[in-house]
Amino acid sequence: MVAEAFSGRFSIQFIEEGNDRDVLLRARDLVHVGHRILTAPLAGSIKPWETPYRSVMLTAEPEGPMDLFSLDLMERALAILRETKASPRTVSQAILQDFQIVDKSLMESALMSMEAAGQA
Amino acid sequence: MKLELGYIDIKGIRFGTYNAVEDRVLVVNPDTLIEQVLEDPHIKAARFEIASPGEKTRITPVKDVIEPRVKVEGPGGIFPGVISKVDRVGSGKTHVMRGMAVVTAGKIVGFQEGIIDMSGPGADYTPFSKTHNLVLVMEPAEGIHPHEYEKAARLAGLKIAVTVGELARNIAPDETVVYETPTIAETFDAKLRGLPRVGYVMMLQSQGLLHDTYVYGVDAKRTLSTLIRPTELMDGAIVSGNCVSACDKNTTYHHLNNPIIEELLARHGKTLNFVGMIITNETVYLSDKIRSSDWTADMAGFLPFDGAIISQEGFGNPDTDLIMNCTKLEKKGIKTVIVTDEYAGQDGKSQSLADADELANAVVSAGNANETIVLPPMDHIIGTLDYVDTIAGGHDGSLRPDGSIEAEIQVIIGATNELGFNHMSAR
Amino acid sequence: MSKFKVVHYINQFFGQIGSEDMADFPAEKRQGPVGPGIAFQQAFGDKAEITATIISGDSWFNENLETAKALVLEMVREEKPDLFVAGPAFNAGRYGVACGTIADAVQTELGIPAVTGMYEENPGADMFREKVYTIATGDNAAGMRKVVPLMAKLGLKLMTGEAIGASIEDGYLPNGIRKNFFDKERGAARAVNMLMKKLADKPFVTEYPMPSFDRVEPQPAIKDITKAQIAIVTSGGIVPKGNPDRIESSSATKYGAYNIEGVDDLTAETYETAHGGYDPVYANEDADRVVPVDVLRQYEKDGKIGKLHNWFYSTVGNGTSVANSKRFAVDIAEKLVSQGVDAVILTST
Repeated sequence: MVAEAFSGRFSIQFIEEGNDRDVLLRARDLVHVGHRILTAPLAGSIKPWETPYRSVMLTAEPEGPMDLFSLDLMERALAILRETKASPRTVSQAILQDFQIVDKSLMESALMSMEAAGQA
Repeated sequence: MKLELGYIDIKGIRFGTYNAVEDRVLVVNPDTLIEQVLEDPHIKAARFEIASPGEKTRITPVKDVIEPRVKVEGPGGIFPGVISKVDRVGSGKTHVMRGMAVVTAGKIVGFQEGIIDMSGPGADYTPFSKTHNLVLVMEPAEGIHPHEYEKAARLAGLKIAVTVGELARNIAPDETVVYETPTIAETFDAKLRGLPRVGYVMMLQSQGLLHDTYVYGVDAKRTLSTLIRPTELMDGAIVSGNCVSACDKNTTYHHLNNPIIEELLARHGKTLNFVGMIITNETVYLSDKIRSSDWTADMAGFLPFDGAIISQEGFGNPDTDLIMNCTKLEKKGIKTVIVTDEYAGQDGKSQSLADADELANAVVSAGNANETIVLPPMDHIIGTLDYVDTIAGGHDGSLRPDGSIEAEIQVIIGATNELGFNHMSAR
Repeated sequence: MSKFKVVHYINQFFGQIGSEDMADFPAEKRQGPVGPGIAFQQAFGDKAEITATIISGDSWFNENLETAKALVLEMVREEKPDLFVAGPAFNAGRYGVACGTIADAVQTELGIPAVTGMYEENPGADMFREKVYTIATGDNAAGMRKVVPLMAKLGLKLMTGEAIGASIEDGYLPNGIRKNFFDKERGAARAVNMLMKKLADKPFVTEYPMPSFDRVEPQPAIKDITKAQIAIVTSGGIVPKGNPDRIESSSATKYGAYNIEGVDDLTAETYETAHGGYDPVYANEDADRVVPVDVLRQYEKDGKIGKLHNWFYSTVGNGTSVANSKRFAVDIAEKLVSQGVDAVILTST
């Protein structure tokens, strides 16, 4: 849903066949080559470690040498994820939709801040 | 600033053909209240039910819990900027209907909201098993967005609480407590000299849809960290728009009855000098997190505090805000105690917080939210059990065929409240 | 209901055999309670009975660890007890290690629950508190009267299957498992009280100790890498073929130093990994994948680095204790510094 809502305005890497860990790994890789993260990579308070969706916003272009603050946050988030034992669950389509709405709303909330700062 | 709270102890609730408080029993006419709720076109249907302590009753999914109050003297009204017009509250006289609550229930999205059990093992974990509850169960109009409905449900609960609170206006309180907070100049009075200058940093959940908190009607994520008088909260300056993480969200009831404020005010002028409190948000955007925590630490140094209590709301990425606030204060030489809860896994073996720092060396824990509990079947369900399998901390098969529920205690409203409202902890 | 059966383990001192001069006393089993066992018997009342007491010398146990463990285990097995009680050992180090070792073995190998008691600084407590319920004691035997009822109470809970409370409720040392309980005061009051202590510089106890991080400040960057001598240190277990130093495949207790003077490439014929924690196929095929000698030699030739150090250091990271790792690191770092190494590439698996 995030990918649909914001495509056109931003460069979006949508990881369809993956999970939250794959999203964080991709973001971490981007940090390695100099992108800076703009939103906190940890999940919001909703369904801790259980929502199948995760979005992380980064700078569109690398900003020079690797940003250690970004890397630190990414690695901590990954470490937390590693510790979490995912409980297998079957979730109905309606609830998946609700998880997407919340994922999108977190990004919208970040976007307001970006816009206010003249960065979007 | 001086606020007098007159507590009226409510002993029960019953339905009638009129609205009144008679012999400390609340009588309400559900029809007139339903009419008021349905004024909002976003709400399709509404009904009221009563749940009293000790009954074999389960309320789920719960959105908010609100204590009815009424402003008897002084400027403003309850829930300023939301229900009452914007005016500075926190002084004068307010009547409180103690021992009861308005509880809003019904589906917002298909997961997240929690449980209140009025008896049994689950009742020990929630303060709202001990209150007489007037439960408002709602259904959204067809096709509206979750955020529109969340707002409608939030406002409906607050409106009903104000309508009910109004009934206590002319009743003589059973107990009166005066809460007085000093100005900054007064905190330098001779009589307070020598006492440690203590502050309170209150973090407000403000990450987005279903994760929001409102201060005088302003969405907290659009605010800078700021000062607020503790007595303003007692008049409803802060309301909950948070319907996630049942166990560690601050309901509006918690905001009205903030226990950290109570403890600090009770010791003010005796063992400590309660200088003031700062509210700060928990956001998604990193620059906001940095700005808010910088601002908080700077303000704490400006007042200044010698020490501060920092309370969190929620978990996950707010742990980052918590640790930022804590370390930035500590680095200014302001000693901190943080109040949080733990997500140590069902086996209790995982790292409890998503972020950590050795400067956070004084932690009060409200317990491990992942610990499991079996809630026995109840005779009466208010709301619906349709979502028990999917609320946070529930899992497939949470709801057993006999109606009992096996789940983590995070399904229970207020179980690991991070204002330190409860006695539970973990080691 | 018949009484539960309990076996008690104590050292030569509490077994009234003798003090340090009798520390070599080998294990011996006696019927019924001995020494502190009498106090335990009183605490158990008519619910449980100490059927046997095993006494051994501290030195004997620790110096013959494997045989001692097997022998004591057999003595316990014969009794078919419902509970095994060891100690309390207070601050006696070897006694504590013996109590922890045997209690852990009784639990894992015989499936019988065990309880012990130690002072928190006893090295045995550090080693076993997460495996065996270890009641917190004072640092000397004067605390016997306080600790016996706590150990007996927890022991009875283990036998009856009654739920164990949080560490603070049942008096055991925190064992890494977080458990909820209802405290006397609400959280807000606890927070204010803790802050008042912290402000007055009085001791206070955090309810959640932060995980300890051993953070190291990074060194300043190398000014001229083309002049620098670079060494390789690995926890990936690369060793010369045949593992001459016999570095363990897990929980390593040693490291090796290997000369690579004149070596341009680590081949399948000459090097392998001793590491047991990952699929070794690719490391064995070409150990340069873990210890990149080939690339660094090339860099050396191209003048991209000053020099590749003549020795590389290797151990196995798989389950190796932090204490051992620290010891290796101090050793290796001293050697590297004394040999004028400017920078180190650390590789794992």
